[in-house]
Amino acid sequence: MNRESRKKALRHLYQRVVEPLGYKFTPDEEIADFLLEQEVNLEQKHGIPFCPCQGLTKDRDQNMKIVCPCIPFHRKHFDAMKRCWCGLFVHKDVMNPDELQQITLSEIKNG
Amino acid sequence: MKVFVYALSTCPWCRKTKKFLQENHIPFDFVDYDLQNEAEQDKIIREMTKFGGGSAFPLVVIGEEAVIGYNPQKIGQILGLKAAKA
Repeated sequence: MNRESRKKALRHLYQRVVEPLGYKFTPDEEIADFLLEQEVNLEQKHGIPFCPCQGLTKDRDQNMKIVCPCIPFHRKHFDAMKRCWCGLFVHKDVMNPDELQQITLSEIKNG
Repeated sequence: MKVFVYALSTCPWCRKTKKFLQENHIPFDFVDYDLQNEAEQDKIIREMTKFGGGSAFPLVVIGEEAVIGYNPQKIGQILGLKAAKA
């Protein structure tokens, strides 16, 4: 399968997973395409499409929590940001993803 | 003030962070975590943990302060940039 076909396949798969969670693909097509491209690269390298914005460590359990789409493992955090950490997915009601920011969970907890 | 960026080569927000610093003429050093060997990665994670981070990128260290995630406003504020280009 070539890169473009794989990107398309991941899109199709992710769509089905994130929609019931209340998320959609970011309307920023440039970012979405870049992130999917990186995920295809990561999948080719590691066999799994990990999040391109979180680092892999020696801890396999932690690594499994950053397999895209990783929303179920970080629900509280991502719901508060209205986006996932890398921004591939945003809440369904988000029209302008530029208004959203990456905030750490501890910053959210501390208000 | 010394600026250091912990980044991933695959992360668009890390690229935006570097671009923001470049466009505002802020000298900085950086490391792309995913392009390092395992021993170096362990060291990086330990350093990031010290600054309150985990394995989420980017993490920008400015002097004694750390900014986790792409946050040009906060970086600009710490660096005292008047009209930071985001």
